[in-house]
Amino acid sequence: MTNQPVRYRLDSDEDDPRSAERGLASLVLTIVELLRQLMERQAIRRVEDGTVTDEQAERLGYNLMLLDERMTELTEKFGLTREDLNIDLGPLGPLLGD
Amino acid sequence: MSDDRGVWAYAITADAGDQDVSWLTGVADATVRTAPAAGLTVLVSDVDLNEFGEAALRRNLEDLDWLEGVARAHHEVIAVGSKLFPLLPTRLATVYSSDASMAAVLGGRRDELLAALERVGGRVEWGVKAYAVPDSEQPEAMRHEPASAEGGAPAGAGGRGAGLSYLKRRKAQLSAQAESQRSAAAGAHAVHGHLCRRAADARLHPPQSPQLSGDKRPMMLNAAYLVDAGDGTGFASEVAAAADAHPELDLNLTGPWPPYSFAGDEGQSPARRDSG
Amino acid sequence: MTLSRELVPADVPSQRIALVDLLDRVLSGGVVITGEITLSMADVDLVTISLRALLASVSALAEEST
Repeated sequence: MTNQPVRYRLDSDEDDPRSAERGLASLVLTIVELLRQLMERQAIRRVEDGTVTDEQAERLGYNLMLLDERMTELTEKFGLTREDLNIDLGPLGPLLGD
Repeated sequence: MSDDRGVWAYAITADAGDQDVSWLTGVADATVRTAPAAGLTVLVSDVDLNEFGEAALRRNLEDLDWLEGVARAHHEVIAVGSKLFPLLPTRLATVYSSDASMAAVLGGRRDELLAALERVGGRVEWGVKAYAVPDSEQPEAMRHEPASAEGGAPAGAGGRGAGLSYLKRRKAQLSAQAESQRSAAAGAHAVHGHLCRRAADARLHPPQSPQLSGDKRPMMLNAAYLVDAGDGTGFASEVAAAADAHPELDLNLTGPWPPYSFAGDEGQSPARRDSG
Repeated sequence: MTLSRELVPADVPSQRIALVDLLDRVLSGGVVITGEITLSMADVDLVTISLRALLASVSALAEEST
């Protein structure tokens, strides 16, 4: 339950020299995360539809798994969490526009 | 009125009677007075246009400390006034050059405003917000996601099949999230319908963004209900019962408020019709 | 039971009210009284500022800097 006033005012963090870097990293990683989620959903869809072979599916899945792990590493490197990237593509189906 | 004085309006009432409002403190520590206007009465303060004139307001409203102070003072006058007589809050930053110009504007709206006062008289506003509870925080029986995050450990020494099982796992998670969201939305719809039947009127507001609400969870409902002033406990009990019935939602009740959401046209977002 | 309640009895100071809920109400609630008045002095007779746009821009700023 949030009861304290929400402070909207932004104080730039002059004491933290990494804050600008983190801002840029956050932006870039957000885009990468968006793409990762899109690719993942598309892969899941293709496996469902049976339009890829077992080998292709395994390779897709494996690469996506590695990408997911890499994203965790990268976000941690910049002092961010995966949640900070604030991407929520929502339900599985409608996003891919079918 | 001298050139740099203006009139800040707080609220409109039909007739303040003998009520003394001079003890109230308004915006910028100004005193509050009643101003007759076109057969209505307006609660007002005299303000300095160097702080509250158009250009100054545009500047000051960007200062969130100033805005907070003014908003709280504005609300305080409205809140106290609403206990003395039925009133319609006016939107923040309604400023006139004089009582006379204010009366001239109100003259054209008298009947409409009296009708609105009739609708809100003896009633208060309650706010209900509903957040979707993450699947993991719901009671085990309600969860959509398999409790074990495994869903298929990597198979084989070389991790063969690891890719496929990753995809399987992710699909299960995404489906669970989708189901969880669907059920939260359905729950919010049901709660709103239920509360509408208990209220004289209702308004649906856009959900607050997480940046403003300070809560990362999706806001599924942001509604205002107009309820008889004496029915507060009953309404609060209904909300508590709804909370019990919907573990997929976290309900937040605020109130009683003066009728901010019901001061305008009846035509705005008539939420009651939607709820069936 | 997942009900969080913020009942504000009549005599509790308004400082206890969450700012976001207050601003939502005073900025987008309340009756809007506007009108074009012709006065010999051609004053600005009414100032009603729409502040939702302001809040939206502030929250956008908040997003950019995190």
